[in-house]
Amino acid sequence: MKKLNLILAALLGLGLNYSNAQTQKGNVLIINATVLTVTKGNLENTDVLVQNGIIRQVGKNLSAPAGVETIDASGKYLMPGIIDAHSHVALDVVNEASSPITSEVRMKDVVNPFEIGIYRALAGGVTISHAMHGSANVVGGQNATLKHRWGVKDPSDIIMQDAPRTIKFALGENPTRVHGRGNGIQPKSRMGVEAVLRNGFNEALQYKKGWETYNAAKSQKGNTKTPPAYNERLQTLADILDGKIIIHCHSYRADEIYMLINVAKDFGITKLVFQHTNEGFKVAPEIAQYTMGASVFADWWAYKMEVYYSTAFNAAILQRNGAITSINSDSAELIRHLYHEAAKTQRYGGLTDEEALAMITINPAKQLGIDDKVGSIEVGKQADLVIFEGHPLSSYTIPQMTFVDGVKYFDIKADPDDQRQFVSATEMVEPIFLHAYENHQCLQDVDEYFEAFQGAFIEEKH
Amino acid sequence: MKRQFLKAGFAGLLISGFLSHAAWSQSDPTGKRRITDTYAITNATIFASPGQPGTKATLLFREGVIIGMGPNLSLPKEAQLIAGDSLFIYPGFIDGASSAGITKPKDPERPKDFVSSNPPDEIAGITPWRSATDQFSITGNQVDDWRKAGFTISQVLPDGGMIPGKAAIMILGNSGSVNVIQENTALAANFSGARGMYPATAAGVIAKFRDVYQNTTLALDHSRLFASTAGVKRPEMTPTHTAMAAVVQGQIPVIFKAETELEARRAIALQKEFGFKLVLAGLDNYENVIDLIKSSGTAMLIKLQVPDDKAIKNQKTDSVTTATNAQYLRVKDAYDKALKQASLLEKAGVPFGFSTLDAKPGDAMKALRTMIKNGLTEKTALAALTTNPASILGISKFAGTIEKGKMANFVISTDSIFKEEAQIKHVVVDGYIFDYEVKKKSANGNGKTENGDATITGQWDYTSQTPAGSSGGELIIAKNGVEYTGTITYADPSGNGKVTAPIKNVSVNGKKLTFQFDVSAGGMSLTVDITGEITGNAMDGTMSVGQFGSFPLTAKLNLPSLTL
Repeated sequence: MKKLNLILAALLGLGLNYSNAQTQKGNVLIINATVLTVTKGNLENTDVLVQNGIIRQVGKNLSAPAGVETIDASGKYLMPGIIDAHSHVALDVVNEASSPITSEVRMKDVVNPFEIGIYRALAGGVTISHAMHGSANVVGGQNATLKHRWGVKDPSDIIMQDAPRTIKFALGENPTRVHGRGNGIQPKSRMGVEAVLRNGFNEALQYKKGWETYNAAKSQKGNTKTPPAYNERLQTLADILDGKIIIHCHSYRADEIYMLINVAKDFGITKLVFQHTNEGFKVAPEIAQYTMGASVFADWWAYKMEVYYSTAFNAAILQRNGAITSINSDSAELIRHLYHEAAKTQRYGGLTDEEALAMITINPAKQLGIDDKVGSIEVGKQADLVIFEGHPLSSYTIPQMTFVDGVKYFDIKADPDDQRQFVSATEMVEPIFLHAYENHQCLQDVDEYFEAFQGAFIEEKH
Repeated sequence: MKRQFLKAGFAGLLISGFLSHAAWSQSDPTGKRRITDTYAITNATIFASPGQPGTKATLLFREGVIIGMGPNLSLPKEAQLIAGDSLFIYPGFIDGASSAGITKPKDPERPKDFVSSNPPDEIAGITPWRSATDQFSITGNQVDDWRKAGFTISQVLPDGGMIPGKAAIMILGNSGSVNVIQENTALAANFSGARGMYPATAAGVIAKFRDVYQNTTLALDHSRLFASTAGVKRPEMTPTHTAMAAVVQGQIPVIFKAETELEARRAIALQKEFGFKLVLAGLDNYENVIDLIKSSGTAMLIKLQVPDDKAIKNQKTDSVTTATNAQYLRVKDAYDKALKQASLLEKAGVPFGFSTLDAKPGDAMKALRTMIKNGLTEKTALAALTTNPASILGISKFAGTIEKGKMANFVISTDSIFKEEAQIKHVVVDGYIFDYEVKKKSANGNGKTENGDATITGQWDYTSQTPAGSSGGELIIAKNGVEYTGTITYADPSGNGKVTAPIKNVSVNGKKLTFQFDVSAGGMSLTVDITGEITGNAMDGTMSVGQFGSFPLTAKLNLPSLTL
């Protein structure tokens, strides 16, 4: 396929570059599966036909068009590809921790398609991850929504180009520690965080007005107005105010969550998702009413002061209060078993199968603004699919095959040990360890940054 | 440049290998002035440009310009003759991107009101107004090393942060001359962040690059409006905007340092976004981006270096698991592919040059030979050293080939340049002749040189550091015909004084000494491997003891050439 593209590109006299490179789309017929559509119920002994990367038919006794491979999934479960709304996998840089607002920074600039974490995520049925900037700054960088097309070499080929823009915000201890304590500037407190946000948005309004004035004047005869300085930091904040970007905000405490809801209301912002949201259960109705919901851990807390007031019922309480709720990983290890994390909402809160599965499929898709394309098994959606042996919410389940756009990128039966895409010519192979502990990456790159200040820094990084 | 003049007199004294024919005289108290600036290299084999066969001819040049080349030249009386009968002459090599001779300027002091989230450009590494000429010295670090490797012209990049400044093309010539050929030839850029301030990471650097570029464009718009219309507020061009203008207006390229394919893609993505001219320098890993580089029309300067083979050499052959062996094979495969990259560029028809950034001058010819062994043609290798960089730098008019009217820049070797036994005997730069020592071949002609191998015979004292502590003993090496033999003493593992054991498999290759000896301990026999590098009378090395690991070992030769 890649070769074909090269030939086509050569024939058409086009350079093969970012804009015209096509990602691979697959054709496949999966038959006799128990199809967990998530949005349209469970369908026994059902077939799903994928053509050119899109789900074309869901039904019984479908026949494969010529040349389309048939996969027999008798006795197995087929569900939509799992979506992780909070990840830092496949990023060369996570934190540009040098300023309280860095909205001009783009994670899309530093995507690394060779990172082995992508393949591990696929082995856990995860087809889409939200590669986020870290939580060092009040307003961090713009995130990248990734499709796990393992094996591509061009970073733009693992970026989901049709996903809307999103941006990272962070409240509480991380930005106050990095900038306030670490660097002696605002924000030193939660009040300072709010001030940084309000000042930022107000500046963005002035910036936007300056450009509107200039653009209106510049084509007029005898214009003497000059262009304002370009500032992508403020432009990005203005884009948020214009509803072009979804905010994903790192948050723990109920008071700071409610603070941001108020800031959003004051500035007319509606596209807002809370991340971590540890005390979300205290403000669940408010989150349900004003925001695009919350993305939470199943049961992980107490790694610093602001994460002590916690409950494993958080996700269930948010869900039953009507908030769009997802379960995320924020970790290259947890990302491999998000189905298990989702199942914890049944143990703690008694959610239904459909509600639990929605937390790792259609709900994160809604929070990323891609629910019209992925997140459920429906005709017309992109064919991101996972076949499980055993029900995905069972403790005994094992992912078998993972498809992105109908292309199989993981098959447990064809899973060589060494999956690296890039091998160094000058380094001996080192043993590779999976970090099962202490690898939340929200504050990655911050330590290195702080060495330069000789600043005292604390161990937690979530 | 003023500095170069001032330094020239003193620095000239330091240059070794510089031919000085002048005697001390009153009119030239330094004794540095040449008797003549006209030279003829007679009856040499001349390879005038890549791909052309060598022809026997005499080469005449004056004041740094080639004035004649042919079999029957009439030579002026003032021409100093150099017998070239056994010599091979090539066009002087051109280095597309280099840091030779560059000294990093001191960091400016931070202002009292310094805020790390919004530092002044100069402190954050954004200094496009700086020129490499101000940081360059012809007597500086590595200039002579690269000249010795055949390089006569080099585009030097300033040292600094993400946008350190403008490059300059230098002739690596006489220390008494002004050696700038062209200033402000390209804007140097890279992805390294500033330490402890914005922009600190590659992500921040890319964002800041956009900011600098866009605001330069706007500042130029503003200036144009101010020039054409009354009533416009005055433009405030910052030093950054003023210095960036040449890039935004397409007058000079951005030369991005990019080692990996991801960095290359990031630079090309920026190029596509803004449309500036782009040169990539220092590429180390580029197999997967060759098509992209070709289609985007990016000029390419690959790193003049091949990966070291340490990882391959250290692979054990026995007692490894199948899984480990499979991983070994992948490293081997990656290594083989890395060596072939340059030949793939040639096949794709990308006219590349070389960059010496982060490369070692002493290994340059070896790297070239390795690339040639792996499929690069000699013609393209020579083009990458001469005509290609000349064209990328825009200096083909006067450099890159040996032709009448071009600069007298030559590499003169004792044999066909890419042959293993070829040695560079002279390098002519700007008409100045630099001589280099040529080692004589040994009698058996095995490629080893007379003084190539270090002296190892004699009595050594050694000390090793193991987890059990420091211990040592005596090592005696003698030469027996062509073989080395000897003994070593070591602390008895059972704790009673010293034990003496014979050493075996002694081999010396250049500065590297290796040998083995056996130790019996508790009914077990272990082979100990010693590897070391010899400098003068000292050896610095390691001792590996079976599966127990490797430990540092140092030794000193007390009685050289002791005969037993």
